[in-house]
Amino acid sequence: MQETLVTPTLSVLSRSSITMQDRSSTAGQASSTGPQPSRPSVIPPPSKSKGWKSGANVRRMRRIIAEDPEWSLAIVPLLTELCIQHIVENFQNNPILKQLLPEHQQKVLNHLSPDLPLTVTANLIDDENYWRRCCMQRWPVCHVARHGGSWKRLFFERHLENLIKHFIPSTTDPAVILDLLPFCKNYVRRLRVDQFLPPVQLPLQPWNGELSDSGSEAEMEQPTGDHYQLRDLVAGLSHLEELDLVYGVKDCGMNFEWNLFLFTYQDCHSLAATIKACHTLKTFRLTRSKVDDDKARILIRSLLDHPALEELDLSHNLIGDRGARAAAKLLSHSHLRVLTLANNQVRAPGAQSLAHALAHNTNLISLNLRLNCIEDEGGQALAHALQTNKCLTTLHLGGNELSEPTATLLSQVLTVNTTLTSINLSCNHIGLDGGKQLLEGMSDNKTLLEFDLRLSDVAQESEYLIGQALCANREAARQRALNPSHFMSPITAKGPENPVG
Amino acid sequence: MNPPGSLGGLEEKEEEDLSTPILGPSIYSDNPQERIQARRLRIAARLEARRREALGEYLDGKKESEEDQSKSSKQKEESRLKLAKLLLCGTELVTNIQVATDIREIHRRVEEEEIKRQRLEKLENEVKTSQDKFDEITAKWEEGRQKRIPQDLWDVLSTQQVHCAALIEDKNKLISELQQELKTKDDQYVKDLKKQSDDICLLLERMEEQVKNVMKTFRQELSYIEKAFEIERQELLTSNKKKWERALQAHNAKELEYLMNRIKKVEDYEKQLNKQRIWDWEEYNMIKIKLEQDVQILEQQLQQMKATYQLNQEKLEYNFQVLKKRDEESTVIKSQQKRKINRLHDTLNNLRSKYAKQIKQFQEENQSLTSDYKRLVMQFKELQKAMRHFALIDDKQFREIWLMNEEEAKDLISRAFDVDRIIHTHHLGLPWMAPDFWFLRNVGPISQQQQKSATQILEEVLMQTEEEGTEEAASEAESYLDLPKQISAKTTRKILMLLCDESGFLIESKLLSLLLPLEKNECYLLKLDAIFSALGIESEDDLYKLVNFFLRYRVYHSPSSQEQTSLMSALEPGEKRDLEEQKEESLGEGEAEEKEHPSSPKLIHPNDVLKILEAFVMGLKKPRDSRTPVKLKHVRDDSKDSEYWEALTTVIPDTTQNLWDALYTALEKYQ
Repeated sequence: MQETLVTPTLSVLSRSSITMQDRSSTAGQASSTGPQPSRPSVIPPPSKSKGWKSGANVRRMRRIIAEDPEWSLAIVPLLTELCIQHIVENFQNNPILKQLLPEHQQKVLNHLSPDLPLTVTANLIDDENYWRRCCMQRWPVCHVARHGGSWKRLFFERHLENLIKHFIPSTTDPAVILDLLPFCKNYVRRLRVDQFLPPVQLPLQPWNGELSDSGSEAEMEQPTGDHYQLRDLVAGLSHLEELDLVYGVKDCGMNFEWNLFLFTYQDCHSLAATIKACHTLKTFRLTRSKVDDDKARILIRSLLDHPALEELDLSHNLIGDRGARAAAKLLSHSHLRVLTLANNQVRAPGAQSLAHALAHNTNLISLNLRLNCIEDEGGQALAHALQTNKCLTTLHLGGNELSEPTATLLSQVLTVNTTLTSINLSCNHIGLDGGKQLLEGMSDNKTLLEFDLRLSDVAQESEYLIGQALCANREAARQRALNPSHFMSPITAKGPENPVG
Repeated sequence: MNPPGSLGGLEEKEEEDLSTPILGPSIYSDNPQERIQARRLRIAARLEARRREALGEYLDGKKESEEDQSKSSKQKEESRLKLAKLLLCGTELVTNIQVATDIREIHRRVEEEEIKRQRLEKLENEVKTSQDKFDEITAKWEEGRQKRIPQDLWDVLSTQQVHCAALIEDKNKLISELQQELKTKDDQYVKDLKKQSDDICLLLERMEEQVKNVMKTFRQELSYIEKAFEIERQELLTSNKKKWERALQAHNAKELEYLMNRIKKVEDYEKQLNKQRIWDWEEYNMIKIKLEQDVQILEQQLQQMKATYQLNQEKLEYNFQVLKKRDEESTVIKSQQKRKINRLHDTLNNLRSKYAKQIKQFQEENQSLTSDYKRLVMQFKELQKAMRHFALIDDKQFREIWLMNEEEAKDLISRAFDVDRIIHTHHLGLPWMAPDFWFLRNVGPISQQQQKSATQILEEVLMQTEEEGTEEAASEAESYLDLPKQISAKTTRKILMLLCDESGFLIESKLLSLLLPLEKNECYLLKLDAIFSALGIESEDDLYKLVNFFLRYRVYHSPSSQEQTSLMSALEPGEKRDLEEQKEESLGEGEAEEKEHPSSPKLIHPNDVLKILEAFVMGLKKPRDSRTPVKLKHVRDDSKDSEYWEALTTVIPDTTQNLWDALYTALEKYQ
């Protein structure tokens, strides 16, 4: 039984060795070493050394082995195994994958080293397992869920982010990033860069003038603080949907310098042109980058009538009322769904213009104005806007110096509005009366699920009662979510109820 | 100065990021209360359920199960609520840090603004005061310039110096103050950094704690729920067991009852069986005897059958042998027949081949013969040609010889005549008349009257008729000597005109177009020529036949000769010809009759012309066929030659010769 099994494989082996011999003899001995590794069919069997020596020996050798009692099939790996092994070893020079059978493809992928150059693997391998190994090897912690569940996407996005993070303008070759473009353009959907290194001259100059006063530095650095220009890269990434940028340096610690955190006008203009050209962009975040009114206006002007933009985040910047006004204009000229201006310097006029835009907006779902200073005037304007708005669900006005007048208006809004689900008024000076009024408004509301009133001088009792009402609302919402058929009747029952209350 | 935008924001960002997935602890004051309350509720619900169970135990099991289900679901709901609260509290706890930082930041901002304002105020005041001081100093410079006394000047200068130093000191003080502030700010920045890291640590701690707590509570709740389910299951189990036992008992009782019934029935059946058995036994015996008898009879029959079988077998064997023999014979015959067939096939093939060969041979022969025939025909034609040639030459020679002889004879005759004339005139004194003989005038060989062709006749006829008016009777007798006497030229002409008019279809259209410009007579002539060639009329005789035919036709079709036409139609063509000849004769006899109808052709209706022509052509065709070979050669008639020559010899009549003899004798005598 074994012999019958053995002979055909041997004949195949011997035949292959013969053909190899013929080929080598015709091509000459010199060429025998060169092209062979690239040829998968030429993987020699273990007994090749005998076959190599003389063609006449092959037949005798086969006979001997066939009669050898100790010889067994287990010693010789299958030809397919050998081929796969060879393919794996020579994958860098001769990537063969698509031609193989699926099972063999799987084997090859399982054995490929994660260190292979991206030029070979990027567009050839789609296997998630391989990319998982690549990622695991490079980074200890990988949140694949944040990258759409795709390991390949994760790999390329993080790889590209790393490159950009460590790019030093006029020192690093821009080709380093642009060369990668053809391989990663199909996979990168999000770019999250939390560090842009400044040009290398800048750290040198401060070293010399470190002792001089810090005021003079601003004049020197202004013209030469430009960072990496994203324009070419973003233009090449055809599926880019999210851009999350921070113009700053991470982990500077006690080496803090002001000039490490410069977002120059040149940067701003180029970034504006970049995001304007990128029609697939859905989310744009530019945080902690010292964006002032003028820069914000430049950026927002480029975003007007953008076809895809849904989320804009300019938190932790220096945006004032003029920037807020520009954002308000953007609200009416785009399909923006989420606007975040947290930790800026927006005051009452800015909030009023935002409120004006919000009053008739039908796209915006979430507005975040945390840590601004809109005060009661802005708060009242926003509350007025919310009486007509039928779209906003989340409103964050934490830390805005709001007080009782806003609370009274908001309580009126709560009775009317049926879309808001979450309001945050923490760190304000609502006061005891304001809390009571909010409680009154809350008693008629059936849709609000979250209402944050921490550290806003509201009485413990009213806060607790508001919490109870929220619990009831949440329960109702859960019931609605569990059985949507039931969902219809309560809302129809509630619809007429609200205007009455 | 602190960079609030960058680092503070960084921290907050982190907080936000981390706060979402990690959850808070459950050691809060309201939480245990809630738990106690929930438990109380649960106990109350259970009590109520038990009471209900006691009341409606016998109502139905469905309600019970519903109750049980509600118990577990209650537990689930409770746990869910508790956990939701826990999560909410945990998030709140974690976000508390963020909120605290927020408020701190706000406070810091407010303070910062205040301090900034104060600082600016201070700086402004300082600027004002120093400006005042500076103004004072500059004013004093003027004052000093007026001083002439060096001591005063020195005093002034020293005071100025003191003032300046004071001013500078003030400024320096301010600077040092500001620097001090800066330093404190730096310290504060470091402190803030520390604080932030502390905050982050706290945050992490809380998060971890919350994770632990949440896990713990989740496990606990899970175990509660499991327990609830367990209890429920056990209750269900016990109740089911009870039910099961009850059912089992009932079943057992019923089983016993069935058993007793069965035993009774078995006894009954046994008795019946015994009875039946005895009865069956008897019956069996009877049947057995009967069957044995049957068997014997059947065996006898079997023996008989066997005997007949034997007999039949032998017979069949014999038949078989016979048939075998016959078969052999038939095979022999068959083989013989086959051989014969083969032989016959051979002969057939031979014959076929022979036949083919012969066909070939005959074909060859045929070919050679046809070639021979062709050759012979060629030879014959050549021979004919030669013959014609020779005939012509012979004729010529004959004519020449004839002429020569004739000349010689005529010479002799003329000499004789001269002699005769001299004799007559001179010697006898008699007038001499030259004898007139037909043969004297003859020159050349005697020939028959040449048969004129139909066209010539036509021409003559037409020409003649033209001149008819002038020489009517005289020419008629002369020119129509050879024509059949019965038919007048006029009639002929009329008939021909008619024919010409009626049978235009026989003339080619091309010819007609050519004829148009010609004279009327010529036109007729050519037309008739074409018609005759089409009808096959060649000779004079044919023409006359045609004319006759026309005339006779008219006669037959006249009502008087009705019987004759009917007779004629019945007669055979050959007889018809005879009849026609007879008729011709009768016509010849009845010339007068014709004369009576000089305008007879007019009686022939133009419509009948075609019919007449058809009949004529039909009649003409047959005699033509038979006549042609006879008519082939015109043989010269030499019957009159000897007569002619003899006549020539007898030019001088015997009387004259006698005269001459007498004269000769007289002359001799005279001499």
